[in-house]
Amino acid sequence: MKVNNMEKFVLPKEKLSEWINKIISTYQVFAPVKEEELIFFKQIKNPSEIDLEFVNSAVPPKVLLFQQTETLFKFTNGKNIQITPTTSHNEKTLIFGIRPCDAKSFSILDHVFKGDYKDPYYLTKRKNMLLVGISCNQPAVNCFCTSFDDSPTSSKHVDVLLTDIGDKYYVEVQNEKGKQLVESTKKLFTPATEKDSNKKKDVEKKAFDTITRHMNIKNVDTLVKKLDIIFDAPYWKNIAMKCLGCGACTYLCPTCHCFDIQDETTLTKGARIRIWDSCMRPEYTLHASGHNPRPGRMNRVRNRIYHKYNYYPKNHQVIACVGCGRCIDNCPVNIDIIDVITKTAEVKP
Amino acid sequence: MVNEKQLKTEAKKLVARDDVKYVIGYEKGTYGFQVTPCFAFTPEDTERFIFSPLCVHNLAVYFMLEEKPPLRKGEKEDTRKIGVVVKGCDARAVVQILQEKGLKRENIVIIGVPCTGIIDPKKINAKFPHQVKTVDVKEEGNNFVFNINGKTHNIPKEELLFEKCKQCEYPTPVISDILLGEPIKGSKKEEYKEIKTLEKKALQEKWKFWSKEFERCIRCYACRNACPLCYCKECIVDQLSPQWIQRSVNLSENTVWNIIRAYHLAGRCSGCGECERACPMNIPLTKLNKKIEKDIKELFEYIAGLNPEEKPLLAMFKPNDTEETIL
Repeated sequence: MKVNNMEKFVLPKEKLSEWINKIISTYQVFAPVKEEELIFFKQIKNPSEIDLEFVNSAVPPKVLLFQQTETLFKFTNGKNIQITPTTSHNEKTLIFGIRPCDAKSFSILDHVFKGDYKDPYYLTKRKNMLLVGISCNQPAVNCFCTSFDDSPTSSKHVDVLLTDIGDKYYVEVQNEKGKQLVESTKKLFTPATEKDSNKKKDVEKKAFDTITRHMNIKNVDTLVKKLDIIFDAPYWKNIAMKCLGCGACTYLCPTCHCFDIQDETTLTKGARIRIWDSCMRPEYTLHASGHNPRPGRMNRVRNRIYHKYNYYPKNHQVIACVGCGRCIDNCPVNIDIIDVITKTAEVKP
Repeated sequence: MVNEKQLKTEAKKLVARDDVKYVIGYEKGTYGFQVTPCFAFTPEDTERFIFSPLCVHNLAVYFMLEEKPPLRKGEKEDTRKIGVVVKGCDARAVVQILQEKGLKRENIVIIGVPCTGIIDPKKINAKFPHQVKTVDVKEEGNNFVFNINGKTHNIPKEELLFEKCKQCEYPTPVISDILLGEPIKGSKKEEYKEIKTLEKKALQEKWKFWSKEFERCIRCYACRNACPLCYCKECIVDQLSPQWIQRSVNLSENTVWNIIRAYHLAGRCSGCGECERACPMNIPLTKLNKKIEKDIKELFEYIAGLNPEEKPLLAMFKPNDTEETIL
């Protein structure tokens, strides 16, 4: 439900708190909060808790839709087994301050959780969630969203996008959901002028120029085909030699979505839980027979790259990477996905 | 710091040897202040080797990450040695592994680098947050000298050094086959200042402190995988039957994980700080290890990773030990 001629407003900065206070009365609001020099999306009760001086949150906001540990249902042991489903997440939630790249990751994750098997846990939360994004005025050193023809100030995957244009926010309403949110608090907003629109364009240009690292993807199909033919190249082994095999890159990736399901029990009761899993771990593909189809770090490192840049585009016509740079920032040994993909151009089959 | 020319020459000679499989050193990273491990299989590969105060990694970890796929019929095991470049703290990890018989001395070759201190990436990145081009660093007296976009920056070492380096007692590798340059005498002393402050806190306060830290843990196990001494064939956290630690990521399980890891490193941790550096959640893991290190020093007058001939602390006893329960 796209709104034709997207509506544009401005919100004076001093009115932001008032707006958020109004939102808090209707929604559970999650916003960037600082903790030990890191930013996390946490539920807030007061606008003063919000910290907007950040580029990327430490853990991507996917954690709000696809929790690291999610209880699917609870049960009791013994003769009279009782199963209690977890209450569905019917609360209306709103993520305030999500970055355009992280918002895009939700659209990418949708393919998995909305696919052949509809995941009620994810989908209920997604349905009840509103995204109020904030443009990335100052992308960080490893930001490369522009390599995927995206923009650090794109409103494409949010419901409402705010852009800091000095003393006010430029507000873009992307769809009906966003329109309703703004309508309900319309008094605070004034229609944007052409001058405001130009200011947003300036911000966008500046942000674009700040991004200096680029992944060399001229064409998705060409990349997919290239990866097809270099699957067995020694290139992957060389990269994987230095991989430590930790899960930092996958856990902190906004599009990684693998999970494991386990029953955790005491003598009398238990719960079936779903937890994040990582293809970087040997156990991830270990068969009950003891055979492991991805026995080496090479197989696992290659899988991470191929899942994002080959399998996903083949299955869902989109690269499963948004260019947030978290895996690069957090790799203890500088395995750098920009470098890895860019250099595939020179790899011989 | 080390003469890079000498490093390359020695590494080149080493790789060329028939009994050496490869040599692990450092090379320039992909951006900013990054340096990355470099595996040299041929003498030409060693041309990429560098050594600078940005060489943070403890490369000893790669001894333990060496994969040995099952041999095909008729295939012989590759018994060639692996060479590695180590700093003072890294060398202590190697000694510790040798003590534990995790490695055989004849299977490794060590290029030792007397170390004058390494830059904490967090500190330098905070100073120059948007550094795309790779940067060279030099050391001049008490300063680090950076040339960034044509401008020279002189920054006092104290401002940028890792905390561990400020108290390093063993800057020269305690074990090496080839030592580059002159040994540096350790002039600093580990005072455990931060640990003493933390020890003084009330139990409740300590619990509050660690709860806040462990709550953030995402169990990516970067701490474990970056640690050269975490080399169990199957880590306790991966075990499924019995499952000692649940997969649920919550304060209780996170606490168990982090404390078990610290305990398993008791008397073994060489204090390289790789766990804390690798942690994406900024959990001050060295505080745990340092506390145990301090206790062990006080109780047993023992320091891990100094003498490969010595037995590991928890695998030995002394007949004259005053503790009656032991004998």
